[in-house]
Amino acid sequence: MLELKDIKKSYKIGPIELEVLKGISLFIDKGELLSIMGPSGCGKSTLMNIIGLLDKPTSGSYLISNNQISYTDDDKLSNIRNRKIGFVFQNYHLLPKLNALDNVSIPLIYRGDKKQERRRKSLDFLKKVDMHTRAYHRPSELSGGQQQRVAIARALVGNPSIILADEPTGALDTKIGDEIMNLFKKLNKDESITIIIITHDPNIAKECSRVVYMKDGLIHDHKI
Amino acid sequence: MIIKSNIKEAFRSLYSSKQRTILALIGIIIGIGAVISMVSIGKIVQNESLKGFKALGTDILTIQNNYSPQKNPSSNKSDIRLKDILYIPSQCDAIEKVSPFIVSGDSVSFKGKKIESGSIIGVTESYFEISKVKISKGRAISDLDKYYNFCVLGNNIYEKVSKIQIDNIIGEKIKIGRNIFIIIGFAEKKPLGVFSFFDINESVFIEINRFMRMGNKGEISNITAKIKPGVDQITAKSQIIDYFKKLTKANNSVNILNPEEIIAQMEKQMQLYTLFLGAIGSISLLVGGVGVMNVMLVSVTERSKEIGLRRALGARRKDIRGQFLVEAITLSIIGGIFGIILGVGISFIIAYFVKWDFLISYNAIALGVIVSSAVGIFFGLYPAHQASKLDPIVTLRTG
Repeated sequence: MLELKDIKKSYKIGPIELEVLKGISLFIDKGELLSIMGPSGCGKSTLMNIIGLLDKPTSGSYLISNNQISYTDDDKLSNIRNRKIGFVFQNYHLLPKLNALDNVSIPLIYRGDKKQERRRKSLDFLKKVDMHTRAYHRPSELSGGQQQRVAIARALVGNPSIILADEPTGALDTKIGDEIMNLFKKLNKDESITIIIITHDPNIAKECSRVVYMKDGLIHDHKI
Repeated sequence: MIIKSNIKEAFRSLYSSKQRTILALIGIIIGIGAVISMVSIGKIVQNESLKGFKALGTDILTIQNNYSPQKNPSSNKSDIRLKDILYIPSQCDAIEKVSPFIVSGDSVSFKGKKIESGSIIGVTESYFEISKVKISKGRAISDLDKYYNFCVLGNNIYEKVSKIQIDNIIGEKIKIGRNIFIIIGFAEKKPLGVFSFFDINESVFIEINRFMRMGNKGEISNITAKIKPGVDQITAKSQIIDYFKKLTKANNSVNILNPEEIIAQMEKQMQLYTLFLGAIGSISLLVGGVGVMNVMLVSVTERSKEIGLRRALGARRKDIRGQFLVEAITLSIIGGIFGIILGVGISFIIAYFVKWDFLISYNAIALGVIVSSAVGIFFGLYPAHQASKLDPIVTLRTG
């Protein structure tokens, strides 16, 4: 499904070149529920950005569904993000001026779906995360857990094969965090969506079928 | 579909930062308003000044005398004489009537009081018909008044005189220069033609032969001729030219302008004038455009997080560019619409107070719409391009 081969990433900060990823090789199979753990600064967010095609590696190769990613065609990268990857962020990243329904339908705009179609699909996915009763509420009128559910609906609405979640429960209390986690597990089980969760909460990692530990830009340990 | 949701998004975004939007709108409104009002006023003035010529009628030719023996020492012929001019209708069968006239200035006083006057005009009987000057009381100058000290007052002069003596002005004496004239009538008020070089209302008319005796050598430089019905201007024109050629033995002794030609010439000039006014208006439009650019740049910076998110969710660079471009164009077009209203309003107010005929220039409105969208595109392109270049990870991280 996803295959990273010797991914290196370095940033130039002034005269110093800082190597954040020092050669990551990782294979993620379809339908896995995987978590990436590690201390702050270990490069896990950078790795996620590379997996999510938001950033390009300095060297190494990356394959999605056996297709080599080419970083020269920006529109193609946008298209893959739009159709294959769903993002869930720690601080939800919902647009404050749009209601839940409009937030969920953003990815569909960029694939050119008609308005009726967008509405129908978005409502379906809001129902799936149990937020359809709040479809016309703005993010400011929703609790953190509710906002994250809307964000998950947005990640799902384009029927992606991968969901990338960066600290999805980081801003939520344990009980709500568990609910979100259960939602991920259900999606993973029922729809066999590959889910990659970045976290430093061991309780979250425990729920996953595989845990990758990172340290200093390298994969330190694997646990299945 | 993207366009449609972009427009919706543009309205939402512009509405949510009202203050900034209003400031940018003011710039555009003033800019477009300036262009539109300038162009429509230009058009109104054009219409107004042509009105005078059109009122003259298309059967009138204006003959300008270029011939002067002083300027042509080789010619021993004398100046064009009044009798030669009055002879034109009998020699040119295309011409019905001629009206030679001489304009000069002199002091005018009534009952010992000085009266401000514009011009003293020596005319023949036909002047009143050809120049469409109507007599409101008394009678006009007649060809039978040859050498008589009779005069007809223009309307403003009449008003000035009637302040001194209210009743029975006709038959009273008026002093022109050193001569005493008898008032035989006065003319109706006539709107001032924009390009006529004297105001009929401020004039005193006397018989042309009498005029030429008042120490004025009397070079007749102004002649208008009326063409017979059914004869075209070109035929009439060439007959007059031939007549003067025979008379003076000189080629370009007269210059003949027919109203159609004058109107066409003036229209051309006026268009240039309007263009010039439009160009002045465009300067404020430029300032308005910079305002739009400024607002859009701030908007891009402020919404970098949104841009990053949209990119992560699959927006291509061109989608982002399109979104911001549509927003800038929307802003400009809204401003443009209000600017058109403002511009038309201003030209209406000016026309109202100057008593010109108001007319809406549809070209100006079309211009306003086109120019405002062009401003939106031009000044929106750079901010939109900046937006599309934003790196999603950077903007998402700062969030």
